[in-house]
This record gives sequence, C-alpha cells and structure tokens, in this order.
Amino acid sequence: MTTQPTNSSERVPILDASDIVRARGVARQVAGRIGFGLADQTRLATAVSELARNVVQYGEDGFCEIVDASDHNEMRLGILVEDHGSGIDNIDKAMKDGYTTGGGLGAGLPGTRRLMDEFVIESEPGLTRISIALVRKRS
Amino acid sequence: MTTNSLAPIVTLLQQHRAAISSEWMTEVLRVWMRLYPGLVNEDELRRQADALLKELGKLFSEHSGEAPPDITGNSELGEIARELSSERAKKGFKPADTAQYVITLKNVLTQHLVRTLNESPTSLTLCLRAVDDVLDRLSLLTFDAFVETRERVIAQQSLSLVELSTPVILLWNNVLLLPLIGVIDTVRARQLTERLLESITKHEASVTLIDVTGVPVFDTSVARHIMKAIDAAQLLGSRIVMTGISPEGAQTLTKLGISFANVISRATLRAGLAEALQLVGRRIEFTGGVHK
Repeated sequence: MTTQPTNSSERVPILDASDIVRARGVARQVAGRIGFGLADQTRLATAVSELARNVVQYGEDGFCEIVDASDHNEMRLGILVEDHGSGIDNIDKAMKDGYTTGGGLGAGLPGTRRLMDEFVIESEPGLTRISIALVRKRS
Repeated sequence: MTTNSLAPIVTLLQQHRAAISSEWMTEVLRVWMRLYPGLVNEDELRRQADALLKELGKLFSEHSGEAPPDITGNSELGEIARELSSERAKKGFKPADTAQYVITLKNVLTQHLVRTLNESPTSLTLCLRAVDDVLDRLSLLTFDAFVETRERVIAQQSLSLVELSTPVILLWNNVLLLPLIGVIDTVRARQLTERLLESITKHEASVTLIDVTGVPVFDTSVARHIMKAIDAAQLLGSRIVMTGISPEGAQTLTKLGISFANVISRATLRAGLAEALQLVGRRIEFTGGVHK
C-alpha cells in the first residue's frame, strides 16, 4: 500500500510556557502518525521544545506550525516557528555553541540545527522565523 | 419610589411563577441532562429555581426601573446565583453551558411578558428593559463566580502537584533518591533543588540518585536546571548518579551538545542503585530465600 501525500498542518499558538508542552506534544504525535521512529520523535519534540521556549523567553508571542509534507518516497515533517519579538541581533553569534543572552546554556539553536536535517533561520526586529525539517527515506 | 412601571413583572412572577419555573427548568434540564448525565440533581435545581424566582420578584417589587438594581454577591439573589454557578464549575461544566442557565430564564421571562402584557408598548418596553438589565447583571455575576471557582481549583491543583511531585527519598543510609517526573520548569526546579539540598544536609548523603525516567523531554532548559541542582548538591559533598536517560534521550542530548561531566550515569535505576551502594561500600546479596 502506498501512502498518499497528506500535507496536513497544525498550528499551535505560543504565548506562555504551557504552550511549549502542547507544541512538542503535537509534534511528537504527528511524527508518530507519519511513521517516524522513537528516536526521531524525541528529536523533533526536543527541537520544538527548544524553539518554542525561545519564543516564550525572548519572542513575546508567536506560533508553531507543524506540517506533514511526506510523499511516496520520503517521510518529511516540517516545522515553522515564528515570533514577533525584538528579533536576534547577531544570527552568526546565536548559532555558536555557548553563546547566550538570557542566562541559558547557549546550546538551544546550534543544538537544534544538529538535531535536524534542515534548518533555516531569518530574523529581523518584529519577525523571527525558523523552519526546520526532519526527512527520512521510506523503507 | 414609584413601583407601578414594573408592577407587571411583579404580578407575572407572582401569578405564573410555577409555569415559568417549570418551563425554564425543562429547557435547562434538557440540555444539561444530555451533556452532563449523572451530574444534575433535578430536585435541587427546581428548588433553586423557585428560590431564585422568588428573590427576583422581591427585587422587582423594590426596583423602580430607573436606579440600577442592587445585585451583588451579598444579596440573597446573588448568593443563589453564585452558589449555583460555582457548583457547576466544580462539576466541570463548560462556561457556556453554565451561562445558559440565566440566558434561558431571560428568554422564558421575556416570552411570558410579551404574551401576558397587552398594555401599551411603552410599558412593555420598560419592563423588557428592566428584565434585560437585571438578568444581564445576574449573568455577569454567575460568570464571575464560575471563573473564580475554576481558578481556585486550578491553583489548588498546581499547588498539590508541585508538592507531590518532588519527593526526596532516603534509599539507604547516606543514599538519596530524587525521582523526577513531569515538566521541569523554573518553579519546580527551584523547589526540587531546595528539597534536595535540605535532604542531603539532613541525611548527610554521600550519594544521590537522580532518576529522570519520568521527564518527557530533555531539552537544554531542563538540562540547565538539573545541572544547577547537581552542582549545588556536589558542593554539599554528595556524589551524583544519574539514571533513566532513554537511548533516544542520550542521542538527543549529545546532538544538543550537552554533557553531564562529573556525573556518573547509568541507564536504569537498578544499575544506578548498585553503583550507589558500591560507592558507600555496600551491596545487595542473595541470602538463600525461596526465590532466586
């Protein structure tokens, strides 16, 4: 049986810390439904947790969109996290391990990039968008 | 005080109270019985409805139609409404379904007024406006009571959750166990660190097991909280054995670039316990019981 492209998406608003739990729960659920293994589900949930926490901590308000973009050949789960905070001053620095402006470990963004197959970040005052994706060939 | 302008309402509530009450309750019960079977006490609701209508009649007989009606949580009427609403909140009714109670009454009353009042349109308008006004206030009051009750319930729950969720257990002499379960946020992290440090001092613990089996997602924020707790514990002279990181969790942590240096880690609590006992010079031994 072949799986049809579904391209469904779910959007979770991120306003406070409880939304972090909700967003990563949805990510894990969607990943499981698509057929990602437990390790990949954990990666996705952790990545969403990192990005969503940044939104709560720095970004004021935003949302997380979880998109199932799988097709016959591959499983693909894309996530867009957008916020409307003051933005990231220096993206190059923010992507370096150990750099933090908020007293954290400074591992969130670079760590998330290592966890994911795709990672795109753009930021300006008022709009920060990070899209990530995990892609697996169907066996 | 001129009461005559609202006299029709008072008369209506006196003469047709039984009919109004029964119509009102039929409608409310129809919805509530369907949505919340087993949570509705019909007799009590009817009693409350009668009492509320009686108070409403009293209010209109004292109400001139010009000054705003006196409905506060302290008045008899307010008391009934608050009690009813907060009861719904405790039983898990949705806010909209609770609000339905007063809204339905408004509809029934309005219908009755229009049906029985053959007087001048001015008088009818005046009466309808008064009913509108009073019931809107009642509506707001029930809504307030509902939210208040819900918030109290939530506050209690989160308090008891925080209380319950960070036990520090003395496993053996000088060996402590801190099982972490659920979301580790700043509040919980601070609390569990406090408890852990107190217990280490109290029991002179030389080894502390931290079990993270129940932590759903191990991200950098959780890691930072746990690292800080570990640092503080080590300052008090306790060694740390961390247990319960899942294979997926381990992979994710290394990808994130998080390493727990100075911490002994074991996959399972069982292995961690053996390690901890060894550190204090003990071991669990088979003593020849029935079960091997």
